[in-house]
Amino acid sequence: MRRLGALAALIVKDVKQLLRDPRSLVMILLMPMAVMAMFVAGYGEERSSIPIVVVNLDGGPVSWRLIELLRSSGDFRVVAYAPTAEAGVELVRRGAAYAALVIPPGFSESVVRGRSTRVVTVLDASYATVSELVWQAAVVVVQSFMKAASEEYGTFYIDVERQTVYGPKVSSVDSFTSTIMGVLLHLVPMSLIAVSISRERERKTFEQLIMTPLSSWQIVVGKFVAYALVTIADMVATFGFAVYVLGVRVAGPLPALVTVSLLLLLCSLGLGLLISAVSRNQLQAYQAAIFFFIPSMLFSGFFMPVEMLSPAAQAVGRLLPLYYFLRAFRSIQLRGWGLQDVAGEVTALALETAAFLAAAVRVLRLRVE
Amino acid sequence: MLAIEAVNLTKVFGGFRAVDGVTLRVEEGVIFGLLGPNGAGKTTTIRMILGLLKPTSGYVRVYGIDVERDRRSVLRITGYMPQHFSLYEDLTVEENMRLYASLYGLGRGDAEERIRELMDEFMLRDFRGRLAGKLSGGTKQRLALAVALLHRPRLLVVDEPTAGVDPPLRRYFWGKFRELKERGVTILVTTHYMDEAENCDRIALMSRGRVAAEGSPLEIKRLAYGGDIIELVTAGDPRPALDGLAASVLEFEGDGSYSRVRLLVPDASEALVPLTRELEGRGVRVVRAYQVPLSLEEAFIRLTSRG
Ligand SMILES: Nc1ncnc2c1ncn2[C@@H]1O[C@H](COP(=O)(O)OP(=O)(O)OP(=O)(O)O)[C@@H](O)[C@H]1O
Ligand SMILES: [Mg+2]
Repeated sequence: MRRLGALAALIVKDVKQLLRDPRSLVMILLMPMAVMAMFVAGYGEERSSIPIVVVNLDGGPVSWRLIELLRSSGDFRVVAYAPTAEAGVELVRRGAAYAALVIPPGFSESVVRGRSTRVVTVLDASYATVSELVWQAAVVVVQSFMKAASEEYGTFYIDVERQTVYGPKVSSVDSFTSTIMGVLLHLVPMSLIAVSISRERERKTFEQLIMTPLSSWQIVVGKFVAYALVTIADMVATFGFAVYVLGVRVAGPLPALVTVSLLLLLCSLGLGLLISAVSRNQLQAYQAAIFFFIPSMLFSGFFMPVEMLSPAAQAVGRLLPLYYFLRAFRSIQLRGWGLQDVAGEVTALALETAAFLAAAVRVLRLRVE
Repeated sequence: MLAIEAVNLTKVFGGFRAVDGVTLRVEEGVIFGLLGPNGAGKTTTIRMILGLLKPTSGYVRVYGIDVERDRRSVLRITGYMPQHFSLYEDLTVEENMRLYASLYGLGRGDAEERIRELMDEFMLRDFRGRLAGKLSGGTKQRLALAVALLHRPRLLVVDEPTAGVDPPLRRYFWGKFRELKERGVTILVTTHYMDEAENCDRIALMSRGRVAAEGSPLEIKRLAYGGDIIELVTAGDPRPALDGLAASVLEFEGDGSYSRVRLLVPDASEALVPLTRELEGRGVRVVRAYQVPLSLEEAFIRLTSRG
């Protein structure tokens, strides 16, 4: 009986402690709701369609009916009409669209005459999930087209042919490497450095440290470089393991891939430092880091390309370092692009790193309150 | 010159006035004691003086430099030993000292020399390779003081340096403080030990965020009691003979033949002899006359327990 009393006292004490930490409490209550809200906002009804290129080499009325059906299905958004198959494929190669739909010459006539014909979908194999999605949706659209049009033109058959660029098929290990590297290079350094300054505050060492004539930028850059040195070793080890032990395929130049990864690592450290500079204690910093990671996971192209999310989610996505990293990494790893081809993403990552560091210097107060 | 000029410092936490209009003027080269019960606001005042907390109102100048405007110049000439051990517990004694020597911008040779000196002065040589977190309380305090002195500060601020320190080391610390003072260093110190406070040139007694009294230890005691206390042993009752003299009776004890009285006088050293003579002249035989040593502790309690 007395033991139960002690146990009860212990439980009451812990509940009290939880309730008296308002920030954690907000986190506990708000986090699940915020995540759900974000998820619905990004992936709910208002989803965007897959950007594709159409190459209509036929030009006849039946081909335009097919294109119309394709557009009204809601799965696709035609971002360009290319004059030749080569031009269409090039747009897919350049990443302007996830697929090209090529309607061959004589398509309309074949349908009207009741002959069998075909359409060609050129898929971007470097986005395995999307190409699968495009493929299935294209087949569905063509089938419903056949059903609807057969009443008018009699029986005919359209074969959906599948071609790929950067293919033919990307193994799932290769395809998920960018995701795994993204998580490792983002979450690990960010949460590690996020607690660095608040730990000094909690252990009181900050009070002695800021009695020396250091400026905030020295404290920020000092932590940044120190954590970079340690986490880069971690990154190199992960990379070596992936490429040399697991045999992950790298189509582009390895140095380019390493550069992009390094940039994400530095950017994550910068962001973590900013979190650290504004947090009052370690718990708060840790929670903030995790909280920040959630939109990164949802809106950066982690599960699904950002272009397919709702417009609001896309806007958020374009602010996230992980978005630029995933794009650049995939392009280099799976498409074989070089660093110059991802110059935009590289610049964005570098600018964000600088912005985070500058913000951290600005908000860091050399005080103990 | 004033080493510290803190004017009208106020710090409000939430709605609570931890420090409420404190003004301190500390002359260069003195040992200035900041006393007061727990929670009086000593640490908060110190932190505002050092720019570690932003005052809600008021300002601070250290050697004429405005702390808010040019804190870094103040830091170069100020050493600080916080109330709680604040060095890196996962670094060794030597690593901590080297780190802070670099942070204070000491050159290589100078740092070496200074670290060697301070290790000898504070008996740290045997512990140089030990993690600071694994040191005993007294050794931690020695290390903290050594680090605070690395850059030869002109102002040393020490917050309860002798808490948890054994009596020989306490004495050693105060010896150091006096040595530093002789070299012209100004020292602002807080303590709860009244015997230590007697060593201060000046004292400010804080209570509930305000300065309740300020002055030399002697002045503080006079303020608390309203003057000095002398004790007389006389034949017979001297009280009627005290009429018209600048002395009031605090205590009286008599057995008919001899009496013992405690008198309150403005200044014992001035009053003792004339008073005795006057009483003798009035026919009271004074057997013994002496000044009663007042305790600062008693004065402290009297001054701080007042509403
Ligand atoms: N950061 C803070 N937030 C809220 N209240 C505070 C804070 N720091 C100090 N206080 C309060 O201000 C008052 C003065 O505290 P301070 O530490 O200055 O006292 P002190 O005189 O140094 O006491 P001690 O002798 O116990 O060290 C206390 O009531 C304390 O609870
Ligand atoms: Mg204190």
